[in-house]
Formats: sequence, structure tokens, C-alpha cells
Amino acid sequence: MKKTKFSAKKRISFVFVIILMTVFSLVIRLGYLQIVRGEELKKGAIEQWTKGIEIKSKRGIIYDRKGQKLALSISASTVWANPGDIKNKEAKKTAEEIARVLEIDQNEIYEKLTKDTRTERIKQWITREEALELRELNLPGIQIVDDNRRYYPYENFASYILGFTDIDNIGLYGIEKTYNDYLAGTSGKWIKTTDAPGRQLPFDGEKIYDPADGLSVVLTLDETIQHFAEEAAEQAYLENNAKNVSVIVMEPKTGDILAMVNKPDYNPNDPRTPLDDEKKKQWEALPIEELQEEWFDYWRNFAINDIYEPGSTFKLITAAAALEENKIRPETNFYCSGTLGDIAGGPIKCPRAHHDQTFVEAMNNSCNIALVNAGRGLGKSLFHKYLRAFGFGERTNIALNGEQRGIIPNSVENIKDINLATMSYGYTVAITPIQLITAVSSFGNGGNLMEPRLVKELVNEDGIVKEKFDPLVKRKVVSEKTASEMLMIMENVVSEGTGSNAYLPGFRVGGKTGTAQKIVDGRYSKGKYIASFVALAPADDPELAILVVIDEPGGGQYYGGTIAAPVARTILEDSLKYLEVEPQFTEEEKEDINEIITVPDLRNMKIGEAGKLLSDLGLRYTTEYVQVTDDSIVVNQYPEPYTELGKRSIIDIYLKQNEETEAKIPYLVGKTKEEAIETLETMNLSYELIGEGEVVNQNPLPGEVINEGTKIMVEFEVRE
Amino acid sequence: MSKKKSSNIRREVDFTLLMATIVLVFIGIIMVFSASWPEALQKYNDGYRFLKRQLFAAGIGLLGLFICMNINYKRYRRYALLIFVFSLFLGLMVFSPLGYEAKGARRWIDLGFISFMPSDTIKIGAIIYLANFLDNKKKAISSFFQGTVPAFIIIALACGVIFIQNDLSTAVTLAATLLIMFFIGGMNLLNIPLILGAGGAFLFAATRGEKGAFRLERIAVFRDPFQDKLGFGWQAVQSLYALGSGGLFGLGLGKSKQKFFYIPESYNDFILSIIGEELGFLGIFIVCFIFVILIWRGIQIAIHTEDSFGRYLAAGITILIAIQSIIHLAVVTSSMPTTGITLPFVSYGGTSLMVYMSAVGILLNISRHANFDRS
Repeated sequence: MKKTKFSAKKRISFVFVIILMTVFSLVIRLGYLQIVRGEELKKGAIEQWTKGIEIKSKRGIIYDRKGQKLALSISASTVWANPGDIKNKEAKKTAEEIARVLEIDQNEIYEKLTKDTRTERIKQWITREEALELRELNLPGIQIVDDNRRYYPYENFASYILGFTDIDNIGLYGIEKTYNDYLAGTSGKWIKTTDAPGRQLPFDGEKIYDPADGLSVVLTLDETIQHFAEEAAEQAYLENNAKNVSVIVMEPKTGDILAMVNKPDYNPNDPRTPLDDEKKKQWEALPIEELQEEWFDYWRNFAINDIYEPGSTFKLITAAAALEENKIRPETNFYCSGTLGDIAGGPIKCPRAHHDQTFVEAMNNSCNIALVNAGRGLGKSLFHKYLRAFGFGERTNIALNGEQRGIIPNSVENIKDINLATMSYGYTVAITPIQLITAVSSFGNGGNLMEPRLVKELVNEDGIVKEKFDPLVKRKVVSEKTASEMLMIMENVVSEGTGSNAYLPGFRVGGKTGTAQKIVDGRYSKGKYIASFVALAPADDPELAILVVIDEPGGGQYYGGTIAAPVARTILEDSLKYLEVEPQFTEEEKEDINEIITVPDLRNMKIGEAGKLLSDLGLRYTTEYVQVTDDSIVVNQYPEPYTELGKRSIIDIYLKQNEETEAKIPYLVGKTKEEAIETLETMNLSYELIGEGEVVNQNPLPGEVINEGTKIMVEFEVRE
Repeated sequence: MSKKKSSNIRREVDFTLLMATIVLVFIGIIMVFSASWPEALQKYNDGYRFLKRQLFAAGIGLLGLFICMNINYKRYRRYALLIFVFSLFLGLMVFSPLGYEAKGARRWIDLGFISFMPSDTIKIGAIIYLANFLDNKKKAISSFFQGTVPAFIIIALACGVIFIQNDLSTAVTLAATLLIMFFIGGMNLLNIPLILGAGGAFLFAATRGEKGAFRLERIAVFRDPFQDKLGFGWQAVQSLYALGSGGLFGLGLGKSKQKFFYIPESYNDFILSIIGEELGFLGIFIVCFIFVILIWRGIQIAIHTEDSFGRYLAAGITILIAIQSIIHLAVVTSSMPTTGITLPFVSYGGTSLMVYMSAVGILLNISRHANFDRS
């Protein structure tokens, strides 16, 4: 018994020691957790206690130069549902109520309400009335949240300049994208300490970092002129059944873009729905990938994202370079026999033989041969120098995304005789509309090439200017003398030559027409043209520069002078009056207005005879074909025979065209390797491919007539 | 029995033990109030709900403590079997219509005016009966059929009734306590392999099959609770966060953030985490220190009691308190798999508080008979 007692005491002590050791080791572990690993664990704890809620900054406004709001943010409501808070029994009724108010499909809502998610967006941006009605219904689990919506009050207006934003108000296109960082501002943060279900704690409550609202952008755009341009472009688009109409209006002395229009366009409030009903129906059937392709196409800003062969408007560049280098004078005599046959690669032709003419007259006639001779006078090296000087082959740095460089020969060595010749009258070069108007504007600015300016300044909500962008002279391209000679030549084109449809009595408009055949599958296509007209007005002291480009007119008429020049005239007339430029009529003009001439029937006449008849009557005419002889037959004319016109009006003559037979170098730029190979193979051409990606350059240039055995070098580059 | 004269004289109770108990209960009341405030406000719209209930239980517990302190513990001997059977009966009552289910387990009895958890009474009932059994068997305890078999039957009965209430952790706590009592009472050391074998077999059986795999997964999580932070590791991670953010000195009384629903029912199974968060390492250290004092006094009482029934009883009560406290501390520090074990005297829970305080009352009564210096 004594022994048991003794052993019991010992065993109790033994147990006590074990207990002490266990407690001791646990306290050590506790100290390790609380002191050694304390900071690390605390970090995890703080992370789960604090929840940051973004406070959205207010997006800046986009103004025109006069302070009109073109894009702004308005508060709008979005309907959200918390499916977890909606009992299954009530879901049907809730869906019914919402469907009634918002006029959307009930089943779709029901599906969302019964989903196993935390939140579901029912509908974004409902009207104020709808929001009010829903709030009154006070449906459990349904929330109406206020946020900001980007709103474009003029709808499809300057869409390609303004661009649009996504649903989170991040700019995707246009100024909304390029100036997104300024417009967006910096969002603030509301940091609160919460319990596990996310409710704010009664202590250590919250910290607020205020958002910085976005700056507003003041554009150089003039809302009124943009309206004139939009209307005129829309009309031209419809009348000519064109693929595309693009208009740019620029202030030559500053490079300010006053208007920029592309038709067809989109409504930035709803950029994914086409304005055209037929297209809308087509798109409904498309799978999403194809639809996206369509969208990207739809959002392309032709004026800067697409390149084209300019044709005759480009003669202005050749002329300015030749004058500046003193290779020609305005009064220099040029003889045109109708054909120029001494260039390897094919004869150069004029619509008709212009015979003896001064350079000014050659420009009036838009004589290819005279310009080829002027270009040859310059030589390859100088010609190339001026191409670059005028900004071709480089970006103008306009503040919009996706601007193209265009294609010019990348070195003098790459220019062949035939290239020099064709480039002189605007073929085998590819340019963007913005490049052309910027270059031509330099004539109205004493020869100074400006950087196109789209944004004047950034202002804060109080209207205080935070950043100013001054007009930027890129370089002096030609002398003041050459510039004024160019103005004189351009004025002559309108008053005497092919540009007479832009003639505005009282305002001295100077311009140049262009009608270029488009290259389709490596051949100059017969039915597809780009008609264009570039002008400066008034010619003595230009306030406005304008470029009208009509892509693939489908209405039967396709001369730049016929369809593009009147568009320019309408816009110039409205805009010059709006700008309060005083009209000054000459004596001759006052006379001309009163003299009426009846148009003769020219159909089935030879062009030579028809031309003579018209000159005798005091009328003028235009015809723009690449290859025409004096014997070409008139097939149609505009205006129709027996129409009564004022003196010196212009008649468009359409000729029977010779079938084109020669193969020409196809236009490969922008194509993928597979596409390029296919094109070259079908045309049975030999070639050499360099690099990977898309075609960025080719030699010889497109449009050239090829000698057999010539190898075509094609350069590829992966686009950024 | 060697009854000394002194045992009949009413001596002073162990003052240190009494003080340690009262201080722990006091800390418990404050911490339960602090930890339960968010839930009380959220669920019952009365922030003081748990405080009031704990205060009430502490009042009853104090009454029980003084009553038990003044009942001669030797009287329990006569009623030992009755007490044990009655406590088992209460335990089985949870399956009668009087029993009710809360928080997914059927562990409570509702007597209309009061509801309580019979598993707490089984603990004391089993300790009293086992102490009596050990005292009765004396030397025979080391024999297999006289000692081991009946002892194991007692342990199995007591723990079995708790186990079928789906309260594995309490059953294990009690089993450990009773086994240690058996060890102290003269268990043949040859039983150790038997116990280990039985434990191993039990573990093996518990981790087989689909349910076993699930258990294994839960068990494995405690090694690195962060790997399953949002699942099984949630409570362990939250407890570690509480301890970590408390650091050395704590965030200050009432300043716990983890009690805001990060740790579910923190006033219960994770009260020590909240103490660690609000009062820091120093706070927990002091609480642990008081527990060590309490256990030390209990051990002293057991050693210095000449009566072996009193010794086993004192040792049993002390070891029960020690084991339950250690498991709680181990769970809170993620040193063992998470299981729902409250901290005696401190955690919220009326029955537990009343039973433990009464048990200390019994200890104090035994201390009147013990032969040691009561400074």
C-alpha cells in the first residue's frame, strides 16, 4: 500500500512535468507566431480586412474650337441583380416586372436572376424614367446603380475624329483613344476596413483618396464647318452611290483640321450597329469573328488609315518641285503630241494632243505629258527629295491612331525611268488623304509644311488651360515665290481648266482635280475609280484648304472635276460665308453670269472634233483617261445635250476606252505572304520575297508595265 | 485508510487555486464580451447577450464552487456509481425528445427553464467513479482482469456516450484524462503497448474509406493551413492572422478585427486567438501562466492528499483542465488539427463554466484535507 502511494505521487509528478513541457513548447510556438512571424501574418490579415473601392474620375469633355460639346459624360443608370438575394419563387415575378419596365425579353432576365453568381448585369444605361419606375418597385435583389455614360450629342458626327469608348469609359478609337490618359484622369480609392461579409467596421473605418477628374480636350475642329462637310459628303455619297467619301478641311496657315468626314460613318453612341438598315440585317447573321472584322473595317478612318493612288491631284507636287528648282517657269512652253514613246516601260499618253501650251495651260488641261517632262527635268534624285520633303512616305503625326505612311520609293536607286514618269502625274505612289491636303496646304502658307493639328489645348473643369499645343511648322518645302505661283496655277485650273466645277464667283478658288483608276488584282480596273479634288481658297490669301475624295463612285460619273469639285465648292461657299470672307467679283464674272449657251450633242464625235466645237462655243470640257488618242469616240457627256449653261462652264466627256491588255505590276502592299504569292503566281511573274509578315515595300512599284524576266522584289515586315 | 486527525479539522482552502480560478473566470467574462459583441449585435440585436449569459453562468458557477467547497468530497464515494450512471443517463437524454440539436450536433438537453450540455457532467461523473474504482482496487489494479478490463469498460462507457453525440474531440479529451488517471492509479505499464495498439487501430479505422479520406484531408491541412485558406484551413488561418496581428502587445482590448465574422464563434473555440489579437503575446502568456499556477496547485493538492480517492479525484480534475487547455492552445496555434474545444473558465458556455467551477470547488474541498503549506 505504501508502495502504491509512493508510485502514485511519482506518477503525478511525472504527468505534471509532461504537462509543463507541453505548455512550454506551445508558448514557444505562440511566441514564434506572434513575434517572429507576426508582421507577415499581420499583412495577410490587413489584406483581408481592407477593401479598396475605385472612385471613378469624371471623364473630360471634347469641345470644338468654339466650345461646343462634342463628347461628354452624362450620368446614367445600370440595373444589377444579386441572384443570391432573390428567392426562386419570386424570380419569375421579378423578371416579369423588369421586362415590363425595360421592354426586354423576360426569359433572358429570368435566366440571369436564377444564375449561381453574385451579381448579374441586367441592362446598362437605362433612361431616367425607367430608373425611376424600377426604384419605385423596390424589387428585392435588384439594384439600380448610377454611373457615367459617354454621350455624343451630335450622334454620327465627326465620328472618326471623336472615336468612342468601351463600356468602362476607356477610349477605343479616335481622340477618345489617343487622348485617353488626359480625358480619363486618375481614379480615386475608397479604402475601408470591413468584416468578413464585407460590411464596414465600426472603428478604423475608412480612408478616401480623391479622384482627379480628366482634362477636357479642345479640338481645332469647327462644329459648323464640320456640319457643312458632313452634309455635302453625305449627299455626294448617296448621289454617286460611292463606296466611300472622305472630306478634310484644313486651315493652311496653322495646319488646323477644321473638319474631317468619312461617309458612310457610325454613331459613336452605338458604334457596333450600322446606320444602314441593309447592312444591319447582314450583320445579324454573322458569327462574332466575322462581325469583328466588319467592325474594324467600319471604324477605319479612310482619311488617314487608307492609302490610294492620287492621280492628277499629285501633279501639284511635281509642279511645285519643278518650279522651286527653277526647271520650269509658269510660262515655259510644253508640247503635247498625245503620246510620249521614249520611255522604257511603255508609252505615256494624254487623253488628247494638247499641242503647244504653257505650263499653266498644261495644268489647266491636266496634261500628263507636260508633267512627265517636268518630272524628267527634275530628275529622280530631286523628285525623290521633294516627295519626302512634302511628307509623303511618312506619318503626318496627326493625333489619331493607325495612321499609314503611304508608299514611295525608299531610295533613288529604286526609281526607274517609267516610275519617275508615272509618279509625275500621280501613279505608282500611294498616299493618304491627310498627307495630300497637308502638302497642298503649304502653298497657302508661304511654302511651310505644317503638322496637322487636331487638338488645340487641354483645359480643366474650370476652363483653365493646362496644356497648349501650338501650330507646328515641320519644314519649309518651297519658297514663298513658288507657293504663290502654285496658287496662281491652281486658281487658273478652276477658272480656266478642269476644276471649273469648283468655281465660286467672288471667291478665288484654286484647285486641282484627280481621277485615278483603281488597281484591282494587279490591273488598272476599268470600272473602279477614285475621284478627288483638292483646293485652296481664296487663292490670294488662303483661309481654307479642302480635299474631297470619292472612292468608287457607282453613279456613272467618276471625274474628279465632275463629282468631287462641286462638293468642295458647296463646302467652301458655306464655310467662307460662315467665316465672313468678303466675296469680290471681277468684271468678267459679272458678265459671265448673264451669258447663256446651249450644250451641243457630242456623242459619237471624235474627241478632237468635240473639243474644238466646245472651245468655239466658249465652253470647256474635261476628260481624264490614262490612255486616250485624238480619235477616241465620245460615248457620253454631262450635262446632257441641249442643257443651258453659263459661259465657260465645263462639260465632262466620257470616251470609249480601249481594252487594256498589258500586265502591270500588281499592288501588293498590305498583303500577307500567301496572298502576295497567289497574286504573283496567277499573273505568272517571277519574284523574290524578303522578310516575314505583311508586304511593306515592293520594287518595281505597282502599276508599272513589266518587261519580261523582271524579278519583283517584295519586302515583308511584321506590323506592330 | 490512514486518517489523520487533521483531516477532520476544517482547514483553510487553497487560496492560490481559488484566486487563479476567479481571475480566469473574470478574464473570460471580459473576453467573451469583447469577442461576442459583433455576433451578438448582428444576430440578436443585443451586444450584451453573451456577457449577460456568461455573468449568469459565472454566478451559478461561483455558487456551485462554494457549495462543493463545503461538501466533504468523501461523500461522493458512496454515491460514485449513482453519479456516474446518472451522468451517463443525462448524456443519453440528448436522444430523447428533451434533447435538441444546435450547430449541426445533438448535444444539448432542454429542461424548459434551463438547457445544458450533459457531456460536461459526464466528465466529472466519470472522474469521480474512476477515482473510486482505482481506490477500491488498490493493488489489484495492475492485474489485467481486475484492473485493466474494468477500467477500460468505464472509460469506454463514458467516452462512448459522448462519442455517439458526434463529439469526438470531447470524447478523446476525456479518454486521455481517464487513461492518465488510470496510469496514476497504478496501471500496469505493460498496458502501454495495448493502449498504443488500440489507439493505432482506432486511428487506422477512422482514416479508411471515403469519410476517412475526408478526415485525413482535414487533418493534413493544419501543417500548412494557407494551402486551403478558403476551405478547411480557414479557421486555422484566421486564428494565425489574429495572433499575428496581435503581435507582442496586442491591438488593445476590444480592438480585434478577426472577431468580426472572420473567426466564426470566436468567443467559443477560438477565444485564445482573440485574446492574442487584443492583448498580444503578453496577454496569452499571462493566461497560460495562470493556468499553470492552477494546474500546479491541483497537482500539489493531489500529491499532498493522503487519501487515495481524494488524490485520484484531485489529479483527475486537474488533468482534465490541463488537457482541455492544452488542446485549445494547440488548436489556436495550429499545432494540431482544428477541433472544437473550449478553454475552461474562459470560453463562453454556461454548462462548462458551472461544471468547471464546481469541479474547482471539489478540488478546494480536497485541499482542506491536504497537508501542505497554504501561504
